Amino acid sequence: MAMYGVPPGITNPPSPLPAGADGEHPKTTGTLVLVFVFLAAFATYYFVNWKLLSLVWRIG
Amino acid sequence: MSTAFRTCPVTRLKVHSQADALIKANAVAATIFLIVGGIAAFLVLLTRWQVVHLLDAAWFYRMLTIHGMSMLIFFILFFEMAVLYFAGPVVLSSRVPAPRIGWLSFVVMAIGALTVEWAMWTGRADVMFSSYVPLKAHWSYYLGVILFAVGALTVVGLFFASLVVAKRERTYEGSIPLVTFGALTAAIIAVVTLGHGAAIYIPTFLWSIGVMHVDPAVYRLVFWGLGHSAQQINLGAMVALWYMLGALTVGAVVLNEKISRSAFVLYILFINMAAAHHLLVDPVAGPAWKVWNTSYAMYLAVLASMVHGFTIPAGIEVGQRLRGVTQGMFGWLRKAPWGDPGFSSLIFSIVIFGFVGGITGVTFGTEQINLIAHNTLRIPGHFHATVVGGTALAFMGATYYLIPLIFRKQVAFWPLAKIQPYVFAFGMLVFTMAMTFAGTFGVPRRHWDITFSNTSFDLQYSPAVDLVIGIMAVGGLIAALGGAMYVLVTVWSVFFGRRFDLETVKTGGQI
Amino acid sequence: MHTALEPPKGVWWKPAGRAEKLWVGIAFGWCLVLFAMMPLWHLKGEQNTTGIRRKVEPEAFQARTIEFIQQYQIGTEKGIPVVEPPPGSDVYLLARMWNWVPILKLQKGAEYTLHLSSMDLNHGFNLYPMNINLQVVPDYDYALRIVPGEAGDLRIVCNEFCGIGHHTMIGKLIVVDESAETVTYGGGER
Ligand code: HEM
Ligand SMILES: [Cu+2]
Ligand SMILES: [Cu+2]
Repeated sequence: MAMYGVPPGITNPPSPLPAGADGEHPKTTGTLVLVFVFLAAFATYYFVNWKLLSLVWRIG
Repeated sequence: MSTAFRTCPVTRLKVHSQADALIKANAVAATIFLIVGGIAAFLVLLTRWQVVHLLDAAWFYRMLTIHGMSMLIFFILFFEMAVLYFAGPVVLSSRVPAPRIGWLSFVVMAIGALTVEWAMWTGRADVMFSSYVPLKAHWSYYLGVILFAVGALTVVGLFFASLVVAKRERTYEGSIPLVTFGALTAAIIAVVTLGHGAAIYIPTFLWSIGVMHVDPAVYRLVFWGLGHSAQQINLGAMVALWYMLGALTVGAVVLNEKISRSAFVLYILFINMAAAHHLLVDPVAGPAWKVWNTSYAMYLAVLASMVHGFTIPAGIEVGQRLRGVTQGMFGWLRKAPWGDPGFSSLIFSIVIFGFVGGITGVTFGTEQINLIAHNTLRIPGHFHATVVGGTALAFMGATYYLIPLIFRKQVAFWPLAKIQPYVFAFGMLVFTMAMTFAGTFGVPRRHWDITFSNTSFDLQYSPAVDLVIGIMAVGGLIAALGGAMYVLVTVWSVFFGRRFDLETVKTGGQI
Repeated sequence: MHTALEPPKGVWWKPAGRAEKLWVGIAFGWCLVLFAMMPLWHLKGEQNTTGIRRKVEPEAFQARTIEFIQQYQIGTEKGIPVVEPPPGSDVYLLARMWNWVPILKLQKGAEYTLHLSSMDLNHGFNLYPMNINLQVVPDYDYALRIVPGEAGDLRIVCNEFCGIGHHTMIGKLIVVDESAETVTYGGGER
């Protein structure tokens, strides 16, 4: 039931969660992979910058 | 004043007519300042791109001040006022207590903002939004900021009152929803922030009329107590909207209330330290103070963002899996509604905020690394990723839901609206990364002429800088196009849009 | 389960799942690494921002700078004194709208204590091409021990907005390599 000018979240709202879904939830493997990619990018950029800093003059 | 309620046909929430009206007024005001700030962005960008070098020096610095104030203060805060009216009264199905005060605050904020705009456009305040003492603006500039802040603080008070009223009148069962909780943290932070604001703008106002002395270093400390804490408000509001968009677009679940709420509380606990990373190469504070404060007590606020950065996508993943979208590791992403501008904005906002804004922010805010970042283009590169690619984009995504739910209009130029987040996010990604990279060569921020054509000593940056600035300009122009698309779509929908009601949805709608 | 727009009913303080615990643990560990790097760099690193920080009257700083210039001046370029202080000495660099005074001539590998302050507004010290950045605040003297690492003809760009002439505010700093020059010219003459 798509409709011009209305986001699908409104015209086709997400179906109600199946009953009994409370408690343990399914695994979040995909998200875990993504956050580890993030951590790797973070660590790389962070330490590259320490390296760049170490190249400038001694100061303090 | 009317106290009529309507029942939202989609969410079944009871919406107070005054909440509707106040959200509309604040959202429209936000958009007006977005337009002003956007025009300034375009002009500033085309000046920094030295191939075009559009404005003369005086107008460049003036426009840069106008851009900073209109965007970072007026656009963002007016929109946040709308978010507070939404996350309080609307989400809790309650009334707006004392709507007259809401309107009064709106008028006070508008007068404050217009005063500041007047001072800036007439050349009375060429001081950048940071207005470091002893660089002096006309007193009306400081007065305007004070008025604006007082108005905003009153709205925050009204938000607290609406929580009390909703609780007392039992408009909901259980605890306040996570989205409201997030907005509550933003509101608490706003109180602290605006307290710093009073502590700095009132003395500075008095200094501008010649009755008080303000120490330049103390100014920087207290100003950033305001200036950076204000970014934590944006952060809290943005994360609350992330949770909201996840819920609306794909029915994302809250994995664990304890974890998400504790993370929000960490934001509140550590904002008072936020000034520190602006002062890392200042001649005042010592190393212990810098290390402790710039890390917000061992990076606990960073921890909070990393937690939300996990729980939000994981909530989407779990929501999808529970509904039977279980294919492979990323089926939940592939099968997601990418044509829903609310959803695409959400994902791009998280990615740009985290991968570009977050990583660069923590890195540049490290005590010693700040030596190779302070006041270079790396800094605006970083914060356009947080506050524009992150916050502003989340606001845009929320707007696509606000238009049908609150303005009760269909979103005009729907195909354009669907691609708008893609254009804006792509442009911002290129713009912020190129800007940050240009800063690595030491290229200064807030600078009219990096070719140093009329100076006593020459300086020529490596040709790579020209290339990178060119890429930055192209990215910025694409982002500006995305911003213009957003303005066109929202303004047209609100003023000339077709009425939206659930009956049209039930009958399949019409074009 | 419920979404973030629904009020949770009953007690929501429940134990977290495995994945959440794992990520919070790892993220916290990473935060500790971020935190530890700063004190560590104070111990092992060679670039720090501590220096000596104290209040100073702009006039007093200016007087000290003039005295310093008179003591070690070796010439003038573009109306700005060129000063060659001996290694190990305190050197003064004054920022004002819109130039840096004086032009310093330093030796590679020697240590100096560089004092920075401003006569008027905030200015920004950006050393090109090294990309070292410091905030120059009026009423404060920021003194850092600094060891030039390369010889060359360097620039000091102002990177804090300081009024309409901000972009013209550029200074010069010369670093000479005594040992290398001896080799090049053979005569040991300067
Ligand atoms: C398409 C959108 C935008 C473009 C192309 C853009 C471009 C720019 C450029 C070129 C600068 C100048 C950097 C410098 O010379 O130092 C700048 C500064 C700035 N921008 Fe934006 N911008 C955009 C949107 C925004 C938004 C939405 C916000 C805030 C919510 C924002 C906040 C700022 C701030 C605070 C500054 C710093 C001003 C200063 O240094 O005083 N910008 N922007
Ligand atoms: Cu300057
Ligand atoms: Cu300057």
